[in-house]
Amino acid sequence: MFIRMIRGAFARQWKKMLVIALTIMLGTSLATAMINVMLDVGDKVNQELKTYGANITVLPKSVSVMSDLYEMEGGGEDSGSYLLESELGNIKTIFWAFNIVDFTPFIDASVTLPDGESVPLVGTWFNHHLDLPTGESLDAGLKTLRTWWDVDQGEWIDEQVEGTPENAVMIGTVLAEREGISVGDTIHVQGPVKDADLVVQGIFDAGGDEDSQIFAQLDLAQELSDLDGYLNKIEVSALTTPDNELAEKAAKDPKSLTIAQYELWYCTAYVSSICYQIQEAITDSVAAPVRQVADSEGAILEKTQLLMVLITILSLIGSALGITNLVTASVMERSSEIGLFKAIGAKDSSISGLVLTEIIITGVVGAVAGYFLGFGFAQIIGHTVFNSSIEMKPFVIPIVAVLMLAVTLAGSIPAIRMLLRLRPAEVLHGR
Amino acid sequence: MSLLELKNISKIYGELKALDNINLSVDNGEWVAIMGPSGSGKSTMMNIIGCMDKPSMGEVLLDGVDIARESAKNLTAIRRDKIGLIFQQFHLVNYLTAVENVMVAQYYHSIPDEKEAMEALERVGLAERARHLPSQLSGGEQQRVCIARALINHPEIVLADEPTGNLDEANENIVLDLFHQLHEEHTTLIVVTHDPEVAEVAQRTITLDHGRIKSDLINENFGK
Repeated sequence: MFIRMIRGAFARQWKKMLVIALTIMLGTSLATAMINVMLDVGDKVNQELKTYGANITVLPKSVSVMSDLYEMEGGGEDSGSYLLESELGNIKTIFWAFNIVDFTPFIDASVTLPDGESVPLVGTWFNHHLDLPTGESLDAGLKTLRTWWDVDQGEWIDEQVEGTPENAVMIGTVLAEREGISVGDTIHVQGPVKDADLVVQGIFDAGGDEDSQIFAQLDLAQELSDLDGYLNKIEVSALTTPDNELAEKAAKDPKSLTIAQYELWYCTAYVSSICYQIQEAITDSVAAPVRQVADSEGAILEKTQLLMVLITILSLIGSALGITNLVTASVMERSSEIGLFKAIGAKDSSISGLVLTEIIITGVVGAVAGYFLGFGFAQIIGHTVFNSSIEMKPFVIPIVAVLMLAVTLAGSIPAIRMLLRLRPAEVLHGR
Repeated sequence: MSLLELKNISKIYGELKALDNINLSVDNGEWVAIMGPSGSGKSTMMNIIGCMDKPSMGEVLLDGVDIARESAKNLTAIRRDKIGLIFQQFHLVNYLTAVENVMVAQYYHSIPDEKEAMEALERVGLAERARHLPSQLSGGEQQRVCIARALINHPEIVLADEPTGNLDEANENIVLDLFHQLHEEHTTLIVVTHDPEVAEVAQRTITLDHGRIKSDLINENFGK
């Protein structure tokens, strides 16, 4: 009988039930999309921020100590201590190797131009092909690590393009203007131990100190300084997990962690954990996060997640209000029927159960449709904002189910209260 | 023995006295018609006897229990177990068939039994219309479904509010014949009506006016 009554109610009120289902579907779809994006946004924001440069710098240990002692920004890089170029590939052998998306080495030299002006020359990779000790290979360099550089004239140097001269350089726009240098010009420079003729292949605008520098290929800069196989610095771009208390504690002193904490920290892609592993892979090195980038990542992530939580809450409130109006209207429309049930002896709980069953069935249909719609929304957000798909996490299903059940029941409370207050004499006899 | 006893019953809405110090006793198996003009208090009395309203003052003893002091939950149980309601507007559930409308009363009372519901419809001459929706039935047929629903749980008292108010003469006679049958089976019947012809066939006629009992007459010709 109960099923017949439910079936009958749906047959009679299918339009109203459809609108309730659509309301629930909309709320569920937004909640599903937002929760999925929120859970995936950490990685996505990290990937997005990787286009804004490296987030880890690796310096020789002695240089880092000097820098810490005298609080010098990049200070002491000429102090005579170097990293070994031969160990560069080790970076891609650490536990979090797959999270290392890019890295590039640097060697600094100071060269003198024909007019006697001393100019910094930085040796680095532009688009270098590297065969790793693991048998894999990697293309890395400044081209992907300095995506914001605007190459006004000429083009990027690409070591992999045949015919690229070894003495090709890129110079900053400030230096080019000051010295009247154009693309294709040859500049004669005097290095610390050797002279060289440099061919300008590109002029870039970096918007900083680099605009007054010359960027040459690593081998040439090492040759000019007689520092074959040595490096001053490595910049690393890694996908990281936002820091928490454990990561902050570990960053100060990994030895302060318990074994369980250490394992959890080591096996999580915290920036401090990746730095620690890089230090293990590169002899006498100190790897440190570039705080500005790391902090920006955290702040952006926090704000993005807060925004999504707010959208989810608002969508759920909207759904609850919609459900309240629709279910109340439905109960009002059926007041005569409900009054009759009460008159013939139906308990309040029986009638509430009947109405709630109808709403919950409608809610389940709406929520299932909404979940799949939300999956679609999440993919649209993923592709539009992050250029990649959003992974659907199975544990979102119970979260959304509980949320929508709560919203549906909360939205039905006013209607149920109205139903309980309804007196059969009033609706059947108008008294 | 009195099945129903109203002692000094008043029902007051603001300054309006819908019922004013009513005293009434209805015996088991009695067929009582309650008459009176609009606003005389007929429906109010019906609601109080039917446990759908409470008096402002006085006692309503049904089977010795003062229903004026019972909780809403107990009144629901009394309606379910002891009272059968027949309405002028029929109040059938429009998405259920005739037999399902009868089974609804069984469902809220105990267990739906389609066979028994069919027998109730057969008794009111509607067995062949059992699978029809209310919209497919005439007014007289709908009222007969309503009567079958009122009788399905074997109530001690049947309350009918203007049962023939929306019926033509032929259907009115069918309904009155059913009431005769019920009376012969010793069912207590209280029929609220405007219609003197309906009142005349009852065993006893009570006339209300301005919330008071104007007359309480025994029909001398009853049963003849």
